[in-house]
Amino acid sequence: MTTHSFRVAQSALAETEGRLSELARPFLDFLPVSGVSISTFGPLLGVETISATDARAGRIDELQFDLGEGPCWDALSTRHPVIEPDLAATDSWPVFAEAVRREDVAAIFAFPLVFGPLEIGAVDLHSTSPAQLTVRQQRQTLALSAIVSRILLRHAVNTGARSTPSTYSRRLVHQATGMVLAQLETTPDDAYLIIQARAYAEDRSMREVAEDVIARRIRFSVLPEHRTQSDEGAP
Amino acid sequence: MNETTRIERLLEAFATLADTLVAGYDVLDLLQSLVEYCHDLLDIDSAGILLANADGELEVVASTSEASTLVEIMQLDADAGPCLDCFTTRAVVSVPDIDVDSEKWPDFRAIARAQGIHSVYAIPLRLRETIIGTLNLMRNERGELNPYDVRAARALADVATIGILQERSIRDAAAIRVQLQHALSSRIIIEQAKGVVSETSKLSMDAAFGQIRDHARSRQLPLSVVARQLVAGELRL
Repeated sequence: MTTHSFRVAQSALAETEGRLSELARPFLDFLPVSGVSISTFGPLLGVETISATDARAGRIDELQFDLGEGPCWDALSTRHPVIEPDLAATDSWPVFAEAVRREDVAAIFAFPLVFGPLEIGAVDLHSTSPAQLTVRQQRQTLALSAIVSRILLRHAVNTGARSTPSTYSRRLVHQATGMVLAQLETTPDDAYLIIQARAYAEDRSMREVAEDVIARRIRFSVLPEHRTQSDEGAP
Repeated sequence: MNETTRIERLLEAFATLADTLVAGYDVLDLLQSLVEYCHDLLDIDSAGILLANADGELEVVASTSEASTLVEIMQLDADAGPCLDCFTTRAVVSVPDIDVDSEKWPDFRAIARAQGIHSVYAIPLRLRETIIGTLNLMRNERGELNPYDVRAARALADVATIGILQERSIRDAAAIRVQLQHALSSRIIIEQAKGVVSETSKLSMDAAFGQIRDHARSRQLPLSVVARQLVAGELRL
């Protein structure tokens, strides 16, 4: 796939903000896969399939949630992509692999949805014939996944938003934002979102979390960069 | 400080304010200098300036200490306190003893008293019909501010206000609002920069601000420019 189709997918994703059910489609446009689904699970957000390009993609998600095993669980717990180019040959997830083969799925890939220290969910991609993703495609998928993570997180915290903080509280939040951006070497926007998500996860106000950051009771640490699986054996 | 030194320092403050106005300046830096002159020259313990934002709420834009207690006191003062009264009546409000007439502004009085503040003097930053904010002087002692300090404080406040309002024509209200709003939004990035320095140098927010201000002054850069560099990771103090 060319850089161009990746860019097109990237801007398509940016334009879906607000319409979460559209989030999966851009992946289909630049990757050699048959279907894509995006779901949230883990400690922060509830278990939910947010977007699926077709019914089969939705069922693959449901199977994993019902069985409690599968590539999406592994992707999120290891924070790394799970690449399974040939399901017929795998020893992983015996129950899920058996069930999903009945769906005519031959290859499956799962990418974690994380934001800083926060676990959000996963992107599941499948192909009805054996398939492989190149390292470049894996990197591009990770880049799109990072955008999806922000969109989902922003949506969750805005939906559950508390009242607007007072002027003085905002000042504390800005100070804490500075501390977090220095801790994680990130941008002010992302640092602000981290604080907002933490407040959301703990059902506290942003001011309370900001005060903990300023008093150095909370510290965010840098996580290792994502690694892509080697594409040895790729066609 | 003896009388001659005081007068010399006061003249120096006016001269510096005037120079800043002639040379072109950043509103936020001008107001920061103003509170620091007040602190150095007047018989007061702390000072702060609040500007009205686009929603008409007063926000702290400069203060003699960035310690959160002082900022919080002034912000409460802006919600219900002498500073808000000063802004709405466009007139000086003097509270010589915070324990007299104490049913007014209970929240503000409680927190101010807890921090040892016993008298407050609020001056409008006003030129004819236009008011942009207030200068608030706080003292640990009870009693009226002495008349010399009152005159000096009002003159300093007037010079700064005239400077801000005259840079553009006073009739150009929209342009003035944009400029004041810019000073308030610079405050966001300065708060973030304080956080960055507090984290990387393990300093209190007040000490972090001191470092940022000293760096800005030594390089003759506006505070907001230095703050932006710190937040973007282009500068480390």
